[in-house]
Amino acid sequence: MLLQMKNITKHYGNVTANQAVNFDLGEGEVHALVGENGAGKTTLMRILYGMEQPSSGSVQVKGNNVSFDNPASAMASGIGMVHQHFMLFPSFTVAENIVIGREPTVGGVFDRNKAAALVEELGEKYGMPVDPWAVVSECPMGMQQRVEILKVLYQGADIIILDEPTGALTPLEVKELLVNIKSLALQGKSFIIITHKLHEVMEVSDRITVLRDGQVTGTLAASDTDVEQLSRLMVGRELVSIVKKDVEPGEAVLEVKGLGIRGPKGKALLKDIHLEVRAGEVVGIAGISGNGQSELIQAISGLRSIDEGKVQLSGVDIQGMDVRDIREQGLAHIPEDRYLWGAAKDATVLDNGLMGHHHKLKRRGLVKGKEARTKVTEWIKQFGIKAGTVDNNVQNLSGGNLQKLIAAREFAHDSHLLIAAEPTRGVDIGAMEIIHTELIRKRDAGVGVLLVSSELTEILQLSDRIVVMYEGEIAGEISAMDATEEKISLLMSGGNRQT
Amino acid sequence: MSIIKQSLRGLIQPLIAVIIGLIAGAIAILVVGGSVTETYMEMWKGAFGSFYFTTNTLARATPIILAGLGVALAFRAGFFNMGADGQMILGGLSAALTAIYLPGPGWLVLVVSIIAGIVTGGLWSFFAGWLDAKFGMNLLITTLLLNYIATLFAGYMVAYPFMDKTGSAAMAQSAMIDQSVWLPKLFQGMGLHAGFIIAIVAAVLLYFFMKKTVMGYEIRMLGNNPLFASYGGVKRGRMMMIAMLVSGGLAGLAGAGEVLGTQYRFLDGSMTSANYAWSGIMATLLANSHPIGTAVAAILLAALQTGAMGVERNTDVPLEVASVIQAVLTLFVSAKIGYAIWKRRKGKKTNGTTT
Repeated sequence: MLLQMKNITKHYGNVTANQAVNFDLGEGEVHALVGENGAGKTTLMRILYGMEQPSSGSVQVKGNNVSFDNPASAMASGIGMVHQHFMLFPSFTVAENIVIGREPTVGGVFDRNKAAALVEELGEKYGMPVDPWAVVSECPMGMQQRVEILKVLYQGADIIILDEPTGALTPLEVKELLVNIKSLALQGKSFIIITHKLHEVMEVSDRITVLRDGQVTGTLAASDTDVEQLSRLMVGRELVSIVKKDVEPGEAVLEVKGLGIRGPKGKALLKDIHLEVRAGEVVGIAGISGNGQSELIQAISGLRSIDEGKVQLSGVDIQGMDVRDIREQGLAHIPEDRYLWGAAKDATVLDNGLMGHHHKLKRRGLVKGKEARTKVTEWIKQFGIKAGTVDNNVQNLSGGNLQKLIAAREFAHDSHLLIAAEPTRGVDIGAMEIIHTELIRKRDAGVGVLLVSSELTEILQLSDRIVVMYEGEIAGEISAMDATEEKISLLMSGGNRQT
Repeated sequence: MSIIKQSLRGLIQPLIAVIIGLIAGAIAILVVGGSVTETYMEMWKGAFGSFYFTTNTLARATPIILAGLGVALAFRAGFFNMGADGQMILGGLSAALTAIYLPGPGWLVLVVSIIAGIVTGGLWSFFAGWLDAKFGMNLLITTLLLNYIATLFAGYMVAYPFMDKTGSAAMAQSAMIDQSVWLPKLFQGMGLHAGFIIAIVAAVLLYFFMKKTVMGYEIRMLGNNPLFASYGGVKRGRMMMIAMLVSGGLAGLAGAGEVLGTQYRFLDGSMTSANYAWSGIMATLLANSHPIGTAVAAILLAALQTGAMGVERNTDVPLEVASVIQAVLTLFVSAKIGYAIWKRRKGKKTNGTTT
């Protein structure tokens, strides 16, 4: 075995992040590490990468006992890590970013041409060509990911840890990355992939280790297992599959007609959007993020003014109405970014839960404190939110729990239209299941749901109709029956326009 | 019960800051060769050593509390109102002029004068808010610069049109306010006046306003995350106007109280040189904009200033020791703000990640 981690235990105070975890990796192997948020994946990898010290247990590389005090010593043993958030200097070139720390020099001066040549050679050797002179900030995310991997390879890593590598990538880029990983593995490089995307895991890895609550619940060969079994091991129980009732869609709750929005320089961010959501249906908006989805949501919810066309909510024109009026007209809205739009980080669970409900819970200008408390406490129970008390600061909540709180808050509105933007981004399977089930329950109860997601599986699983956005326009519409991942991917990347 | 707990939590920070300040002060005293215990004894005596000194300290704290509360409200809403000084001066000026020239029974004139002070301070602050909402002018800059306009305008008013020509002293000051319009003293022969009660009531009211009312909730959320607030239907522009109006109103009340309760006339430069407004801002920052904490911090800062006078009266240690302590407090405050900004940045980076 190239790498063996034996009986790794890590305590943080009273919390046990890893409990007697065994993990190993062979040469040329791709070993995925999966588990829900807080299961201890990141802790284990931080130990391996020298960012944390284990409370007990041992690490062996090529049969030798090692202990890493810092990432530099881990790197010296051939371990490299690509973090979830890229650690590149955006204003420097690809070559500069890759050779950083080990720059080729001529007479003590950094030799740019040699660096570029080295990087080009490296890219060709590993089948991941890059333009060494390109500035990183101008590269697409997939290219930046590639630069990160090349950087680690340049540093001489044989063991490469990838933390949530596909989070920011488009479906096409994901495919490319997976191909690259496989070919690198054939050349003898070994990978540890931390992720919660089980389909990708099944596609790329040789073995899969599942963590739950800091313990290994299974190490399986990919050929012997399937997504369902992995989910069970991750969550510790059977997952409820989503069953949609046959509901005949009712009247339109949202009508968008010829909507156009121009950006600061007059560039069209949205062009001639026509969209309808009827009561009792889920309309999924697919698209790579940044193709106008955010602007569309903001226009509907009153956070952005409209330049052309109109938006009607239950037959009422909402132009010029402010956010509060629109909400009272029957809109609930799970925002796309929970920290940017969805929560106040330094406020309590109660305060965060109150938003949007605060005028309904008003008596003579005062907030009805008791009622608000009961309400939020109920959500916590209903959605199994690990929040401590309602007076706890939301900063202490994990991303998934905060997302559940935000979703619960919006589900609690008696709305006609529910916008669910990236409702499960970065949350674990358990939370995802709860949120999906509730979205469908809303649909079955006759609420129109506008689901905006860059996650194709989510779109395909929940939607009745799918609309694809590309560069601020609607690139096509597909009914759920005819939708396949391929068709949607094609539309998402601008190919095969329908009109 | 949780209210008491909450208030106590508001008190912890200013207390820690003051303790650190006192330690630094002790070092300074040792450096100039004084006795630490003796100096601090004198400082304590100067601030709280007798009933007279205590009331004197509380009298000094009164405008600091009110100005601090105004700043606290604006800070909570996320607006940096640095104009407490000017708002206080204009509030004091208009209270003085109303008290001098408005005919009528004393108590009525008193009430109208106080209201005039509040309204003037509020409008002056509101003006800065309006400039922001209308033209996008940076509030921090406008409020800061409007201080100069207010100070010089008030100085002109009492140096020319409304100058007191009855006395022999050729000072830039208004005429004396009639005794019937004065804010009553709380104790015979002491400096402490009814303005202190108003300040304490204002602190408690502001606490409940922020904590319990829908508008207080909206203001807190706006200060916490403006995008979250707008997503939830809070109207930023409207809230800013209200917050700035009330914030300036409190500063104006501070000025009115000082004029009607202590000086009985508007004297050019008296509020600026006493540093009331800036002490108020510091009290707010020390207490993290918690209303009750702000009041306590204001009293502590006032005690530091009155105590320092006691030190100078009775020891060889110079008055500047208090400045050292204050400087350390300022440092502590700015470090805290710096840390908060740093934490916020770091927080942004790790958004969405787990464990």
